[in-house]
Amino acid sequence: METTKTIINYTHRQAGHCESGATSNLFKFNGLEISEPMAFGIGNGLYFSYIPFLKIQFAPMISFRNLPNTVFRRSTSYMGIEATVVKKIKDPKEAMEMLDRNLAQGIPTGCQVGVFQLTFFPPEYRMHYNMHNLVVFGKEGNMYHVSDTVLEFPQLITYDDLVRVRYAKGAFAPQGKMYWINHAIENPVDLKPAIILGIKKTVYEMIGIPFPLIGVKGLRWMARDIRKWPKKHGNDTASFYLGQILRMAEDFGTGGAGFRYIYGAFLKEAGELFGGHQELLEASDMMGKTANKWREFTYMGARNCKNRAKPEEDYGTLSEKLLEIANDEEKVYQKLKKIKF
Amino acid sequence: MEANQNPVYKDKAYGQFRELSYSYQDGGAFEKTVGYHGEADRLVLQQAWDLFRERIESARQLVISGKVSPVVYYMEKNLLDPLNLSMMAGVALWRVKLHLKPGFFKRLNEKTLQKYADAFNITTEQLKKVD
Repeated sequence: METTKTIINYTHRQAGHCESGATSNLFKFNGLEISEPMAFGIGNGLYFSYIPFLKIQFAPMISFRNLPNTVFRRSTSYMGIEATVVKKIKDPKEAMEMLDRNLAQGIPTGCQVGVFQLTFFPPEYRMHYNMHNLVVFGKEGNMYHVSDTVLEFPQLITYDDLVRVRYAKGAFAPQGKMYWINHAIENPVDLKPAIILGIKKTVYEMIGIPFPLIGVKGLRWMARDIRKWPKKHGNDTASFYLGQILRMAEDFGTGGAGFRYIYGAFLKEAGELFGGHQELLEASDMMGKTANKWREFTYMGARNCKNRAKPEEDYGTLSEKLLEIANDEEKVYQKLKKIKF
Repeated sequence: MEANQNPVYKDKAYGQFRELSYSYQDGGAFEKTVGYHGEADRLVLQQAWDLFRERIESARQLVISGKVSPVVYYMEKNLLDPLNLSMMAGVALWRVKLHLKPGFFKRLNEKTLQKYADAFNITTEQLKKVD
């Protein structure tokens, strides 16, 4: 068997969020220095949805992130950068050949994958979650070099394993989705209009969508549900459900507090870019404080999980904390909505 | 999230890799730190895995006593529920629910067995018994 070796000179930088990290790394490769929070903010990474009737690993589905590929697609289109997204490839072999062709041309390519079969991931973090992203940047014989921004260093994965994760089944199946930036970015990109578009869209998604389970409304709905859980399901299940929220908010590649820190950092950067824009900086400060409240909520929740039978903090307190967070967040979005650039 | 050098947490089972996390101090500085998971994260992770292991073990006992089919055991082992299993294996949900019973499982043809085996990433021989 012939051994081909192509490794693209690609810098791996660890990030809090898989997709915005991959996006920012791809931009850097193509010559546009952009930080992770910036990519996250422009591409509308911030989101919240609570879907109680859909169970993921025996607990209600809670998502702190947008649909897969939103960050990459929106950030490139808002900045006017040519990029390709191949949504669905039926034949796994063809998908891998496409990937190989890209690598031969020297284009690092992002792929949507499922986490459960990912061999280099720590076993305890493997769950049926199909919205993970990684960038393939090299091939050596049968092995692929991949950069998974959640982990500290680039990893190796075999051909068969890569096919398996790219064709993981279940909710939001990746179906071989891949994306890349077409060519190097030569002209300097004006970030300001992109930032404005990004903020407007995020504000719309968090408070504008007329559906009760998305955005701040979804957060309130969940807060009201938490109060009911112990009576409805018993203490054990309630504590497990609560654990799911906490795991989603803190553990699964979030950079902490369900991305609120990253968004705050984005607002701060944007404010500095607009020449010390006072309102943006204030909004960033408010977002940071909200994020700190999220972290307090996590600690309270964890204390609750520790002692399942006799919770130290009852669910009413947690619910109130969450409602408080929802109110604070809504204030931030209302403020952002009113800003005139 | 704990600091980088934390020997106490290093040799515990969970959170063996370092993750990037952000934090915010009053005054307006967002900081990035790379570190192991903190106590709170570890606790909820432990709780979830305790529950999963419990479910797997009880499923195994049920299979051995002949009350349910081995599909239940492998389903629990792969952290799935019938709906997700139906999506992964490409078998209709009502059929999956039937196949959880030993009587219906015994009557399965090779083709459907293979579908389940593929979903669980094992061979059909392994599927017929629990390990």
